[in-house]
Amino acid sequence: MTQPAVSSAKRQLTHEIISGGSGLLLALFMWGHVILVGSILTGERGFDWVATMLEDYYIAQPAILAIFALFVIHAVYAARKVPAQLEERRRLQSLAKGLRNSGREHVPTRTKHSPFRPHLESMLWIWQVRTGFIILVLGSFHLVLIGIDIFTPLYGDITGLESISSTARVAAGLWIPYAVLLLCVEFHASVGLYRLAIKWGADLWLSRAAMHRIEQVIFWVVLAVGALTLVVLAGWVDPPLAFLLDGGGA
Amino acid sequence: MARRDGVITLSTEPRKLTFEIFRYNPEDPQSAPHTDTFELDETPFMTLYIALNQIRETFDPGLQFDFACRSAICGSCGMMVNGRPALACRTLTGDLPENIQLYPLPAFKLVGDLSVDTGTWFREMSERTEAWIHERQPFDEGATEERMSDELADAIYENDRCIECGCCVASCGVANLDDAFLAGAGLNRVARFMLDPRDTRSDADWFDIVAGEQGVFGCLGMMACADVCPKELPLLDVYAYLRRKTLGARFVSEDDKKT
Amino acid sequence: MSGRLVTTDVLVIGGGLAGERCAIEAAAAGHDTLILSLVPPRRSHSCAAQGGMQAALASCAKAEGDSPLVHFLDTVRGSDWGADQEVANIFAKEAIVAVRELAHYGVPWTRVKGGKNHYFIKGDEVEIDEALENDGLITHRDFGGTAKWRACYAAAGTGHAALYAVDSEVVRLGITVRDRTEAVALVHDGSRCLGAVVRCLRTGSHFVVLAKATVIATGGYGRIYGQYTSNATINEGMGASIALDTGVVPLGNMEAVQFHPTTLVPSGILVTEGCRGDGGYLLDNNLERFMVKAEPEKQELASRDVVSRHMVQAIRDGTGVDSPYGPHLWLDIRHLGEEHLRTKLLEVWDICRDFVGRNPAEELIPVRPTQHYSMGGVRVNKDGQAYGLAGLFAVGEAACWDMHGFNRLGGNSLSETIVTGRLVGRRVAEFADGITLSADTSIGFDALAAAERRAEDWLTRTGNSRSIYDLRDAMGDIMMHKVGIFRNGEELAEAVEELGQLLDESDSAVLRCKDPGVNPELAFALRLKGMLRLAMTVAKGALARTESRGAHFRSDYPLRNDRDWLNRTLVRWGLDDGEPEFTYEPTGLIDLPPGYRGYGADERIEMTESLDDHNARVVDEQRRHGRLETTEDMGSRLDRDAWRAVTG
Ligand SMILES: Cc1cc2nc3c(=O)[nH]c(=O)nc-3n(C[C@H](O)[C@H](O)[C@H](O)COP(=O)(O)OP(=O)(O)OC[C@H]3O[C@@H](n4cnc5c(N)ncnc54)[C@H](O)[C@@H]3O)c2cc1C
Ligand code: HEM
Ligand code: HEM
Ligand code: SF4
Ligand code: F3S
Ligand code: FES
Repeated sequence: MTQPAVSSAKRQLTHEIISGGSGLLLALFMWGHVILVGSILTGERGFDWVATMLEDYYIAQPAILAIFALFVIHAVYAARKVPAQLEERRRLQSLAKGLRNSGREHVPTRTKHSPFRPHLESMLWIWQVRTGFIILVLGSFHLVLIGIDIFTPLYGDITGLESISSTARVAAGLWIPYAVLLLCVEFHASVGLYRLAIKWGADLWLSRAAMHRIEQVIFWVVLAVGALTLVVLAGWVDPPLAFLLDGGGA
Repeated sequence: MARRDGVITLSTEPRKLTFEIFRYNPEDPQSAPHTDTFELDETPFMTLYIALNQIRETFDPGLQFDFACRSAICGSCGMMVNGRPALACRTLTGDLPENIQLYPLPAFKLVGDLSVDTGTWFREMSERTEAWIHERQPFDEGATEERMSDELADAIYENDRCIECGCCVASCGVANLDDAFLAGAGLNRVARFMLDPRDTRSDADWFDIVAGEQGVFGCLGMMACADVCPKELPLLDVYAYLRRKTLGARFVSEDDKKT
Repeated sequence: MSGRLVTTDVLVIGGGLAGERCAIEAAAAGHDTLILSLVPPRRSHSCAAQGGMQAALASCAKAEGDSPLVHFLDTVRGSDWGADQEVANIFAKEAIVAVRELAHYGVPWTRVKGGKNHYFIKGDEVEIDEALENDGLITHRDFGGTAKWRACYAAAGTGHAALYAVDSEVVRLGITVRDRTEAVALVHDGSRCLGAVVRCLRTGSHFVVLAKATVIATGGYGRIYGQYTSNATINEGMGASIALDTGVVPLGNMEAVQFHPTTLVPSGILVTEGCRGDGGYLLDNNLERFMVKAEPEKQELASRDVVSRHMVQAIRDGTGVDSPYGPHLWLDIRHLGEEHLRTKLLEVWDICRDFVGRNPAEELIPVRPTQHYSMGGVRVNKDGQAYGLAGLFAVGEAACWDMHGFNRLGGNSLSETIVTGRLVGRRVAEFADGITLSADTSIGFDALAAAERRAEDWLTRTGNSRSIYDLRDAMGDIMMHKVGIFRNGEELAEAVEELGQLLDESDSAVLRCKDPGVNPELAFALRLKGMLRLAMTVAKGALARTESRGAHFRSDYPLRNDRDWLNRTLVRWGLDDGEPEFTYEPTGLIDLPPGYRGYGADERIEMTESLDDHNARVVDEQRRHGRLETTEDMGSRLDRDAWRAVTG
């Protein structure tokens, strides 16, 4: 059954690089995204200034295409590893659940290789798959929406990305899918990066426990900033960093 | 119970333990998979080895399970203890709640009840990875041994410590779906021979095994293997090392002949 | 009949170090080789040996001046002159090659680090300069009873590393291994061994293997001491047992059983002597150090047998600590401090944590002496050829080759396995070269039918009886308490009597599980009688041997008696024979005259016969006792008088 043709081994390596690499790029992009969209925290002026810069210098247009491509590539390559059959997924899930639950009482290990806590990562992987699919749906929708915003000016319509339209649609109800998407993306990306770091450098840099802690810190910080951004976009809270832009003038 | 304050008083009020044990005897046409429940009074220092033998000897003489060394050295007694693969011989009931569920290790062929066929899996893995020293020369009876630094000997020993209990295999989602996936034990074995200078295989020689479909790229990084390994082998370090080695070999080697 | 008959050139029963090393030799010589094992080979008990493997490579500073000759002397003295000296000599020489060969197979032996090294010697840290030119060679550690540091080791897992390396060689050669199988009888015609009847431990069915040569490599018989053993649960002595069943193959020195003072209760896991070496105490139920009273001079650091005896005495005197697993004593290493325990005694720290859930820095460790090693076994000549049946060989702990005599030195048994494996493997190959497989399968099928009948008989028997596990426990108690560390005529006679009753009971015992398939109760029942029979040979042999030698200690005959007992016990006992038949053959050709061991008591009853007279009769007498001819003449590998060069 296993006649490992050289090409097969090479293909495996290539797939791994594509799925891991696209994940890495997407995750890095999402940090940038948090900062860019986070410009709303400084008020509408800040947001619009960023949006205009990106559009005027033709950064946004190729970027969204590239991101969309990455998004699709990653989804395709990563999803290949998801077991196709329901029965298989059930088995995986019950295995992961058992491991997560049992660790609470019975933790026989004690050294740096095995953190003193229940085993979570198998369950986290399953959640990565679940969030991945949610991201696929909501993210595609979002990208289309933003894509329309970005590309319409090219056809003469002057409005591109704009704080007015953005805040308006978020307040009108888009905050719900955005909240879900935000949670999923940040979870998926931080766990993904953690996994990526362990996969390629478990023995190099920091202990797994340390990486896990860093992952959690990143998750919560980025989630918090994202959430704040979202509530500001929705108009429920005034931009907290508005003083940065106002300060000089006043 | 045996968990032990005071130096001398071994037991206070003994707990009643309830064991829920998976049962199935493939040799018996009457038998269907189910679980049986047994109750036992906990005694001081009770391990699952003691408990299971008591159950077999007092309640159910047909109960199948495997122990050999009963000292966490031979790797015979891996089983799912409350959902987690563990060596039963060194699992103290005192570390477990009163309700204990025992299942055979998944990912291996069931022999009966808690007993699984790890031998076949490991032999096949050894054959597939050619897990032996591919040496330069035949042994010379008259010669002094080849020298090796103590540090290197230590490093090889570190990988050699695997007892082939199969816990890593059983805990791994990938190995559970693909019996040919090398899993922790297999990849660790490969790394052990890669590290050994007495083995003359080059990184390129290893490429197919390590990077093949059932090799390190089959691993999804679920990390259960490292968490359950009773010998606490640094499996994740091993995978990282193998991944980078593979990357190196891919772009350094010109070994395209076989394609 | 397909599947019920398997043929091969060489059948090796047992996949431990000895069996696998032997199989390699046979397979390398081109013979079709089949290994049987109760468990996957790597789970054999050889993997449990941690300490080391003796071989006089003399590569570290404390091994300077060591040589096979010194190793030979240590071995013979250790054996209390019970060893065959020629065999001990062959062993000491070949051990060097065998250990180096393991390096070739991939064992990561711990190596010499040239320059300053820190060692712990008798509790003190010392600094020793290792010669730079030795850097990278296989190094040694210290073991009891040796003049030099000689034990080669691979960190804390010598047996494990060795077994894995040897098994990888077995895989490389593509040798067929059938794990989860159990040889339950030998197939023979009274003069030649033709193979074995085997029970499959996956399905419960039997089949017969016919082979040109058959090798028994089944390890020790510690489990006849029930729970009182450091051995694995699979060390039930079945190889020796099926040889005994033939009635023509004798077992040698079955009463020679080694004990270890400190094994963990209840599991019997070994707790290293290092605990006491580093200053640990033994305490009784009053938390008093009874060893201080018993041995004011050496206290806890008296030799293994002495300490074991005092521990048993304390338990008998009622100062043991009661537990559901029987009485025990305490080992106290709390005062050594956590720092010391977690570095120098880390394995002990782990064992305590894992198996009794105790923190040895704060709590006492429950210990008691238990059986540890079986010096006795299938009696073979120096080629490993069993007495009495051509084509049957035995190696490793299952055999009585006899380099251990009445006391085996630590580290000598692991090297024995690979030395005999290599050496006997060659003889096996030569033997198989010379013959063809008999076409007559009827003897095999008869033996198969008989084995099936025995199993069937267990399954059909009805009525009420004690459980077979009760019988096993009773056997263990008798063996430990009456055929244990201290022995005396009265208790041994009781033991023989009681074992006899157990044997009778076992013949009418009834199984509660009649399930098809493996049926673990049946699997054990099929061994029970064999174990009881082995126990009987130990008890009777011990009763008859009215002297104290090595591990065999008779409080009613405390002296070693070289006048009357410089011999080896042989016992034959066919499965259907009434009583075991004991005979005594001369130990072997003597080169190093019996004398003081260098430790223990210096009193003994001296030999009266001259060495020359003694040696003159050895060859013939052994032949009369069933020894088959060896490839090279007896004595050809004894370096006569060479030892004089190294003794002062
Ligand atoms: C705790 C402990 C520590 C030790 N430490 C050391 C040490 O440091 N140094 C040292 O030199 N010695 C040590 N010894 C002794 C040494 O380990 C053994 O003597 C040696 O390993 C025996 O090897 P073997 O190959 O003869 O038998 P084993 O390794 O016991 O193998 C026996 C084989 O026979 C098989 N078998 C048994 N019965 C049957 C049957 N009926 N049918 C088919 N197969 C069967 C088993 O499955 C197994 O594969 C130690 C022993 C113990 C108990
Ligand atoms: C913005 C969106 C996304 C980001 C930032 C992202 C990021 C990542 C990262 C960093 C990894 C780790 C890669 C590795 O371990 O090799 C990963 C893995 C994964 N991603 Fe995504 N991802 C995104 C979208 C998706 C989508 C849409 C799916 C669709 C199903 C998905 C499914 C997966 C799966 C299954 C894995 C695990 C793959 C593996 O273990 O090798 N991801 N992702
Ligand atoms: C180049 C590509 C992208 C651009 C230009 C972009 C732009 C924006 C903009 C302008 C908003 C504000 C809300 C709105 O206008 O609707 C926003 C919000 C958001 N975007 Fe994107 N986006 C991009 C890609 C992605 C991707 C790939 C994802 C994840 C899969 C994503 C997830 C989100 C989320 C979760 C929000 C909610 C706001 C928050 O809390 O951060 N975006 N994005
Ligand atoms: S790697 Fe660990 S868990 Fe896996 S078989 Fe080896 S010892 Fe067992
Ligand atoms: S659990 Fe399996 S997926 Fe990889 S990290 Fe371990 S082998
Ligand atoms: S019985 Fe050997 S590891 Fe548990």
